[in-house]
Amino acid sequence: MNRAQLRFTIILLIIGLMVSIQFNTIKTPQSRDTRDVWEIRRELSKEMQLHSELLKEIRSANETLGKYENIQSESPEEALRETVMNLREAAGLTEFTGPGLVMVIRPSIESMATGAGIATISPELLNRLLNEINRYRNQAVGIDERRLIPFSAIRDINGETTVNGLPVRTPPFEIKVGTGTMEEARQLYNALHASNIADDFFIDNLTLDIKEPVSQLNIPAYDQPIENKFLFEAEKE
Amino acid sequence: MWLPLLGLILGLSFGLLTDMRIPAQYENYLSIAVLAALDTLFGGIRAHLQNVYDDKVFVSGFFFNIALAAGLAFLGVHLGIDLYLAAIFAFGVRLFQNIAVIRRILLSKWDERKKEKKESPQK
Repeated sequence: MNRAQLRFTIILLIIGLMVSIQFNTIKTPQSRDTRDVWEIRRELSKEMQLHSELLKEIRSANETLGKYENIQSESPEEALRETVMNLREAAGLTEFTGPGLVMVIRPSIESMATGAGIATISPELLNRLLNEINRYRNQAVGIDERRLIPFSAIRDINGETTVNGLPVRTPPFEIKVGTGTMEEARQLYNALHASNIADDFFIDNLTLDIKEPVSQLNIPAYDQPIENKFLFEAEKE
Repeated sequence: MWLPLLGLILGLSFGLLTDMRIPAQYENYLSIAVLAALDTLFGGIRAHLQNVYDDKVFVSGFFFNIALAAGLAFLGVHLGIDLYLAAIFAFGVRLFQNIAVIRRILLSKWDERKKEKKESPQK
């Protein structure tokens, strides 16, 4: 009896082992890292870029902090006012003056020659152009003298293309892009020339005329009220 | 009673803790071998309950069934016939039958014990 039990035990041990091996084999499909060196490098460079951007942000925050500390003894109000001014600038609530480039959108010569009616620019095309512009560093964009801010909507309202709720003129009209430095303006100019965005305009019977960068450019401030649904003023203590 | 259970737990934990794995192409053989092993195990339990348990039959049946199942699967792969289905079918049906018999035996034993308990206080 004892011997039989021992055999039974050994067989059960084998069964347990088999079941657990089967379980292991089926349960863990090995997900292998199939990236090659270049893909890993690319990811690494992306992370490094993020790293440097974060460092830059930290530096600017530190600068502000240092400024507060310096001015605190003299007038804290001045520092706060300056911060508010900076924020308003970043939000697009002040007029932009600085280097940049101007683009003119015109009806194409071909469409004029055939006598086709002048069509307004479609919101899709305008968005496409903006996406192309936003790939590069810029500080302010004005479409037909309407300043774009992060809240701006470009959409079709009753058949008219509108920016910030106001219709855009039929071509020709100007798009101004303000950049931080002349160098950035030149980069944007070259990039836009190299991209095939002009072909997309040609399909819509329009031409995109990108002018040489200029050192002085004015883009008006955003002039409509900003609706703020989620942020509220803190109660005074 | 507890020694075999201990063996099962020992085998399971050994396999799980060592994280042993077999190559994916042998997965089919192992799964069918597991089925054969379970079939033999339940057959053994049934034989034990019916008092016809034979040690030699059990041990030889265990290894022979596993080998046969794996062999059939192997042959099936090389002949292009899904012969492992035959093994799965045979073992599957037998497994269910064995478990049904075990259940009936246990139920009748339980009934008997109940009856005995009822009768004993009357005496």
